[in-house]
Amino acid sequence: MRFENLEDLEHRRRELEARRAEGARVRICAGTGCLAGGSAHVKAAFETEAARRGLTLGVDFRAETTGCHGFCEEGPLVVVEPGGILYRRVQPGDVAEILESTVLGGIPVERLLYRDASGKVCLSEKETPFYAGQDRQVLHRCGHIDPKEIDDYIRTGGYRALGTALSMEPEEVVRTVVASGLRGRGGGGFPTGAKWESCRRASGTHRFVIANGDEGDPGAFMDRSLMEGDPHSVLEGMLIGAHAVGARKGFLYVRAEYPLAVEHLGRAIAQARERGLLGRNILGSGMDFDLEICRGGGAFVCGESSALMASIEGRAGEPRVKYIRSTERGLWNCPTVLNNVETWANVPLVLLRGEKAYRSKGTSGSPGTKVFSLVGKVRHSGLVEVPMGTSLREIVFGLGGGVLGRGRFKAVQTGGPSGGCLPEEKLDLPVDFDRLVEEGSMMGSGGMIVMDQRTCMVDVARYFIGFLAEESCGKCVPCREGLQAILAILRDLTEGRGRPGDARRLEEMGRALSDTALCALGQTAANPVLSTLRFFSEEYREHEENHFCRAGVCRGLYVSRIARESCVGCGACKRTCPTGAISGETKKVHSVDPTSCIGCGACLDTCAFGALAAAPREGTTR
Amino acid sequence: MKTLSVDGKTVSVESGTMLYDAAVLAGASIPTLCRHEGLPHEGACRVCMVELHRRGTVRLVASCMFPVNEEGLEVRTDTERVRAARNFVIRLLLRRNGDSAAIRRLAAEENVLPDGRLPALEKELCIRCGRCIRACSANGTDALGFALRGWDRKTTPPFGEAAATCVGCLACAEVCPTGHISWEEKDGHRRIWGRDFALVCCEHCGEPFATEEQLAFLRAGHPSDALSPEEERFCPRCRRIRAGQSFTLEEVKDR
Repeated sequence: MRFENLEDLEHRRRELEARRAEGARVRICAGTGCLAGGSAHVKAAFETEAARRGLTLGVDFRAETTGCHGFCEEGPLVVVEPGGILYRRVQPGDVAEILESTVLGGIPVERLLYRDASGKVCLSEKETPFYAGQDRQVLHRCGHIDPKEIDDYIRTGGYRALGTALSMEPEEVVRTVVASGLRGRGGGGFPTGAKWESCRRASGTHRFVIANGDEGDPGAFMDRSLMEGDPHSVLEGMLIGAHAVGARKGFLYVRAEYPLAVEHLGRAIAQARERGLLGRNILGSGMDFDLEICRGGGAFVCGESSALMASIEGRAGEPRVKYIRSTERGLWNCPTVLNNVETWANVPLVLLRGEKAYRSKGTSGSPGTKVFSLVGKVRHSGLVEVPMGTSLREIVFGLGGGVLGRGRFKAVQTGGPSGGCLPEEKLDLPVDFDRLVEEGSMMGSGGMIVMDQRTCMVDVARYFIGFLAEESCGKCVPCREGLQAILAILRDLTEGRGRPGDARRLEEMGRALSDTALCALGQTAANPVLSTLRFFSEEYREHEENHFCRAGVCRGLYVSRIARESCVGCGACKRTCPTGAISGETKKVHSVDPTSCIGCGACLDTCAFGALAAAPREGTTR
Repeated sequence: MKTLSVDGKTVSVESGTMLYDAAVLAGASIPTLCRHEGLPHEGACRVCMVELHRRGTVRLVASCMFPVNEEGLEVRTDTERVRAARNFVIRLLLRRNGDSAAIRRLAAEENVLPDGRLPALEKELCIRCGRCIRACSANGTDALGFALRGWDRKTTPPFGEAAATCVGCLACAEVCPTGHISWEEKDGHRRIWGRDFALVCCEHCGEPFATEEQLAFLRAGHPSDALSPEEERFCPRCRRIRAGQSFTLEEVKDR
């Protein structure tokens, strides 16, 4: 069924709304995390069990799969409606009980409910701290609709913003986006409206819009969840952008490692075409526009805009010198607007609510909300959305529930490999585009990795520099050769070959790399080194001068030592030690023979009482 | 025309002129490696970085690629920041390409010493500037490209096999700044990129001046590029002598 005009769309929406039965249903998370946890089997179990009880599927009871709910740590997640009762770690074996007790009997299954840190049982998402502290705007459909069904999107007000935009002159749409203060969610934070304006004004017969879905930061899955869980919101944003700048063709560049995102976007495009939301004369407005998916081959550098465009053109994914912006000369040298997936998904919100309402959230310099993926040594790994300006502490400790296990907070890494690590004393910083840059990190696209005291900051720098050296395209000398040089020194430091002056040398090379590299990958590649040097210089000094790793990570750069007052003599460390360096009688204080200890760290991870710590080796202190 | 200042000197250039050319016009001296007069620029070696003061911001840019499109740019080619950046790049090149005379010369000119702290590397001549690739592409032969990426990036014919579309013209070797590209000539044949080419000698002076494949490539291409049967018999120099053209003093000395 094709929508010839706006009235058709609105008519369909009302029809879907009226038809929607408010009966019993469960929302089952079918995001990548929960799918891996077996949520597809949970869904099948619901259908089988419901049929066994004589319930008619789709009438008496519906088992709906949705995109990511965000609380990945506790998946597979199931929410029973009405009531919004949240069950976690649901397995097919739990389904019969959920159906009997909750769906039919209205009584919660307590063992499947979430308990907060104090042990209080949380009945619904609203009561769960992880959700209660969030403000889900961009993600408001994620977890609530079936991403494979365009009707779900339309029923919940989808493509209304497009209608609003089409009733406006393109200039007016651009003005609205400019006034909203929307900034690029991919990390750069460039004002989206200014980008559109520049593209609109550039001369050229063809124009393109591109969605950057090449999310490559380790531990980041914001865009993935959006593309998987609410693909039409990205399409709608691109349609509005295309109307504003006058593009007739757009590309969605998605990494091939995101098969579910590719599948859902592909379905969304096909369904939008069937309804006349893509193609010729969209909603009777005279606008022609179509979209194509381009699958990325997995190179991190293809997230850089000029490399991404080269990749779409069929060339090797290498950046070009961008002294002329891609809004003037982008894809095939035509004026091009490239925005991140999350940025595009923000656009319908701006149009639908108006710039004032949009600006009412977030900070004056960074309006709106931001999605973050919270990972690492944090209790609640998952996907969160908060207003810009929320403090790191609120995100890590409020939503994230603090550090996992017995660990102590050490740092949070923001902004992906090109970002930086911020220590405890910076936790009250409001997260927005500008403040984190002032502190030597960046918000980036929204990845956050929490680290505890068992993380060595020199080793972290080595890991990220290693990642970037691997992902450098090799076009310019500073990035290709410089990252290897920096990596060589970091390897020396973490393997006990550090030399006095290494930290200073790293800093010099890092600054020179930032100054000379061709593209943003190289220009920001030194950040993991520079930011850890800034806040954790003591650890560098210990690696450099004493060949000591206080975190007990760098092999051979420490010996284990037992704190007498904490040891209960359980013998767990003794049993773990591969060299027999630990001795002691049961229930008596144990001790480590430093000459036999090889500094492997096995005991450090074993001790449940925090009695073991890394200490410098004898004779290594200069 | 746009006016800019280079190290305090004012100079006017056509809009779109690259900073490098403007700076040279103003008498500045900027080292380059991947830049070649006759080829499109890439901005890949980062040796020609200069400090650009523009609208209240200061940053380093690759002068070979930055177009002068506005009034009032201020460029500095010899500040501490520029030297630190340039030296960083040259020191990196010395580490891997220290056997190249061109790199050593550049390092000597800029007073850059090798970095003794870093572990030594096996020395190579190729600096991956891509001049050979751009030259081959400009010729229309496109026999070369980059393979692999990052540290492993290298210049090669497709799949590392003998260069299928190479015509043995030596344009790649001509533009290579470090002498990485080698070839052999023996018994009327030239061997390069894994293939043999038959040399064509000048009927007048007897010197080889082209390969059969090169002449065939020109014949098959655009008519304006092809040589006449008469021209194909003589080397470019003898062609000019026969046409009665004069030579500059440099050209005679060059001989």
